Amino acid sequence: MFNEVFNKNKPRVAYKDIVPWANSLPYHTLIKKKNEAENLFKKIGITFSVYNNFDSAERLIPFDMFPRVITKLEWMTIQEGVIQRSLAINAFLRDIYNKCEIIKAKKIPAKLVYANPAYEIKMVGLKVPHNIYSPIIGTDIIRTDSRSFRVLEDNCRTPSGVSYMIENREIMMRMFPELFEKINIEPVENYSSYLLDILKSLAPRKCEGDPKIVILTPGPLNSAYYEHSYLADTMGVELVQGSDLIVEDNITFMRTTQGKQKVDIIYRRIDDDFIDPLSFNETSVIGVPGLFHSYKSGHVNICSAPGSGIADDKAIYTYMPDIIRFYLGEEPKLPSIKTWRCSKAADRKYVLANLENLVVKEVHGSGGYGMLIGNSATKAKINSFKSKIKNNPDNYIAQPILSLSSVPIFKKDTLTPRHVDLRPFTLLGHRKRRLVPGGLTRVALKEGSLVVNSSQGGGVKDTWVLKN
Amino acid sequence: MLSRTAENLYWTARYIERADSIARLLEVAYRIHLIPNTTEGYQNEWESILAAAGIKHNYLNTYSEITKNKIEYYLLFDPNNNSSVKACIENARNNLKMVRTAVTLEVWNAVNTWYHELSNFDKGKYDSKNLPQILDWIKRQVNLIKGTINNTQLLNDGFDFIYLGIFYERADFTARIIDVKYYILLPSSSYVGTQVDNFQWSIMLRSVSAYRGFKWAYGNSQIDYKKIIDFLILSNMCPRSIFYAVDKIQYHLGRLTQFYKSDNAANRNVKIIHKGFVNSNAEQIIDFGLHEFLTKFIDDMSTTYSDLEEVYFLGTDR
Repeated sequence: MFNEVFNKNKPRVAYKDIVPWANSLPYHTLIKKKNEAENLFKKIGITFSVYNNFDSAERLIPFDMFPRVITKLEWMTIQEGVIQRSLAINAFLRDIYNKCEIIKAKKIPAKLVYANPAYEIKMVGLKVPHNIYSPIIGTDIIRTDSRSFRVLEDNCRTPSGVSYMIENREIMMRMFPELFEKINIEPVENYSSYLLDILKSLAPRKCEGDPKIVILTPGPLNSAYYEHSYLADTMGVELVQGSDLIVEDNITFMRTTQGKQKVDIIYRRIDDDFIDPLSFNETSVIGVPGLFHSYKSGHVNICSAPGSGIADDKAIYTYMPDIIRFYLGEEPKLPSIKTWRCSKAADRKYVLANLENLVVKEVHGSGGYGMLIGNSATKAKINSFKSKIKNNPDNYIAQPILSLSSVPIFKKDTLTPRHVDLRPFTLLGHRKRRLVPGGLTRVALKEGSLVVNSSQGGGVKDTWVLKN
Repeated sequence: MLSRTAENLYWTARYIERADSIARLLEVAYRIHLIPNTTEGYQNEWESILAAAGIKHNYLNTYSEITKNKIEYYLLFDPNNNSSVKACIENARNNLKMVRTAVTLEVWNAVNTWYHELSNFDKGKYDSKNLPQILDWIKRQVNLIKGTINNTQLLNDGFDFIYLGIFYERADFTARIIDVKYYILLPSSSYVGTQVDNFQWSIMLRSVSAYRGFKWAYGNSQIDYKKIIDFLILSNMCPRSIFYAVDKIQYHLGRLTQFYKSDNAANRNVKIIHKGFVNSNAEQIIDFGLHEFLTKFIDDMSTTYSDLEEVYFLGTDR
């Protein structure tokens, strides 16, 4: 396991000021600060709710006060890598909904695209404003040694977590100003203005003048509602629900105190399937009837475009290096993780023989659900996955069990290492790209656990990119 | 502004005001309880408090007897009562949560803190001893929230919808509380000028937190029912009077029509109601019939609310 903070018990250079500070905090101060942080989160209302949870009570996401540090040099590698990936993802989406050159070139099997549930047939041949399908991409990055960062997963539908990135920083600055005086840390507060700038550049064809932007949320019961309202607030745009929008003659309006008002760009935080009951899932009550036709006729832009989700599918992930090479003519700057596709006979054979040493994931799963971590699973669970893979091999991929790098958390009065990952957020607009130096560090709070998802008991840390 | 935002702001404010009104009502109840009172008026008082809060019927569906402890619990926390203070706080917060971005962070913090602190008082079995503390806390938080609104909110259309909520609720509440007790304001030869009168009238004034104000406004002159009607219905000095609320409603509706550069039925009809108040005096109201006057007022206001709803909360073209 790579320890990001300590090298043989001595703090690494990036942490030279932080470790002594952390060690100097008396236990009672630590408790006090921890309570203070929790109260702040609670007061501001930064809570999330867990799906499939019967009580709808709001929970706080556990916040650990020990910061995660990324050096300037490391950040440059990450930045180049995620921008490259985001460009490739958008080129890929444009291609598979239009000319399908990558399939004709036999770089990716046709079945994987066309038979994929995330492939949206209604998007075929449609002209998407400025060819940006997915303007906001969260890339999950892990680290296994001192040299390389690897991409674990792409999130190009509606990645969440960016409000934690910003609020974690606010809270750290409020609680420990002395650290910020001493250490030169890149600010992250520009995210909202970057996002606004990016969205503004993506006006649809039939938009005249300054585009009217709104954020579409499923509502206050959604686990990321706080984030939706945070972004709307800091961008100065309306936060709408489906019932606030109406489509008439293919034009999308919102209901206001002054009557109907035209809407040009929708940053939607609801899933494809629920956008429009007339075009997609007809039982959706959180969508807007007719919205997709309004989109098709060029009156409104929906970001991200319906059907973008295919690019973050785990089966497509295994082809990402080829996708980057195909569209950009470059080698991937951030390596992917060795992945076995159970759809391939040779891979499947290997996976079935080595389940104890692999992580098996469902191709369309997310949030850490429906996966097997071989070395910590029971015999029964391994056997059940064995039959699942045999019955439906296309539905599974496998990866080696990687020991994610660690950063310590405050546990009682000592620092103990826990596994972390990192999610920076890339923004792509029309001839514009923006990336705030920072990201969301998620941390597994259970000792030895590799699952960092907040829905599975993970926590978060403030992430500092150093200025020099 | 989104129609839903306007509507949620309006209801947030109504629920905040309602919680405050219930707390003030309970304060009177607590006071009566401390004053030795052997007359049968005691029992009536509790009933009229339930009636003023508009929940007597529901209460009697849940509990067979009227007791102090039960009423307090019912008005504050009882899950069977969907207009308890607790329900008001939760509703205020839920409405506001849907439109978080329409208020400042400080306003949201104030309401959200109110909501979170509620659990401190709603733990375990309800104990009557804690009532003064609880009431203080409710009123303090309401004052804090209103102060924060005044201090930090942008004075835009959202501000007007908040204040419309506050004053529609207040007009309604004061009208109902007077109506419940209108019989004590009617001249009755057997009571005039007696201790009973003074006591009943002071309770009446206290239940809308207007007792001290009344003294200041009328000095040491003899309390009589005309002055009370004047003070609680027609005064432009008493912040709990019906006229004061109507005046504010007219003001905020007027601001909205200017802001949106478009007039509407709600604004026009409130102006008519307002004018009616200006041209009235206590004697005319008594001649018309106090109960009839209040009933008509409540009806008229609910018609103007329907107009308001149609023009601002539905978001269609007009």
